[in-house]
Amino acid sequence: MKLGLWPAKTKERRATVLAGLILLQGVSALFFIGDVILDFREDGHLDNPHLLLESIAAVALVSGVIFLMIELRGLMSRMSDMQTGLDIAHGHMAAIVGEFFDEWNLTQAERDVALMILKGLDNDAIARVRNTASGTVRAQATSIYAKSNSDGRAQFISLFVEELIAGNERLAQGA
Amino acid sequence: MITVEQTASGRASAREVVVWDPLVRLIHWSLALTILLNGAFVEEESKAHEWIGYVALGLVGLRLVWALFGPAYARFSAFPPSPARAVRHLRAIVRGNRSVHLSHNPLGTLMVYNIWASVIAIGVTGYMMTTITFFGVEWVEEAHEVLFGWLLFSVSLHVAGVAFDTWWSGVNLVRAMINGRKTIPEGRKVQ
Repeated sequence: MKLGLWPAKTKERRATVLAGLILLQGVSALFFIGDVILDFREDGHLDNPHLLLESIAAVALVSGVIFLMIELRGLMSRMSDMQTGLDIAHGHMAAIVGEFFDEWNLTQAERDVALMILKGLDNDAIARVRNTASGTVRAQATSIYAKSNSDGRAQFISLFVEELIAGNERLAQGA
Repeated sequence: MITVEQTASGRASAREVVVWDPLVRLIHWSLALTILLNGAFVEEESKAHEWIGYVALGLVGLRLVWALFGPAYARFSAFPPSPARAVRHLRAIVRGNRSVHLSHNPLGTLMVYNIWASVIAIGVTGYMMTTITFFGVEWVEEAHEVLFGWLLFSVSLHVAGVAFDTWWSGVNLVRAMINGRKTIPEGRKVQ
């Protein structure tokens, strides 16, 4: 399973184009078949080269439609696999973050602040969200860095990034 | 742990499920367009009316094939025609059960088959009118018109059903038929 090599948007566009082709080709195939049947009724034999060519075209169109349908179904199932993979990754990330917080014995307030730090909010923004003074947030942040053994915001965040990268390597080896 | 997950996602963990593939959606809106065109805009005894009718037949045919080979939600097995399930679904609504159906809900399922069958019957009677054997035969013309009336009634019921289910289950069904995704409200049971 190639995760994320193809952006989801590209896949979706490809699926839509495939569906459009199936629609056009499918309707044309039905017309060709209808025409062949009508001609055959009028003419009565298949050795007529015009009729023969038309029949071949109809068969080609129908096979094309079937092939495209299989393609589209495969694409749809790859897309849903990718979504499942992403969901699992999201879930795992949340679980890992929670485990780290537990390990460091963060208080509830510290957990909230730590999560906002991870999401990229600065101290002033966190203070505004939590309705506290920015001095309080600074103190809580210092306590978080001390408990997690990191010397500041950048290193604190890198602890989780490291975990993500390590996780990916494990995934890649497993695949 | 739990608090992390709750605050981690901004919108209270509503989930999105890709339900309708692009082929299902294209066929749905194309079929709606053919019905609208032939019912309201195109001259009744014109060639265009005939051709649009054949396209509608082709669309339903294609959808039926897709229901055999397509992805899980588009397949017959995802929405078996069962009046018993429809009755159970109605009772569940009366009891106040707001669970979400990922494919068509059992009542919607019956409507789907009804509309497909109506379109096929209208197409067949329409084709019969162009043949020498049935040209000008009264019962065929009448059947064609009565069936179209039935189709109009069904379509309005279908639209009403979509509006009701969108309100009842909280899943915007029209949007799902446009971008393919059903957004399931938090904590809603899924069938």
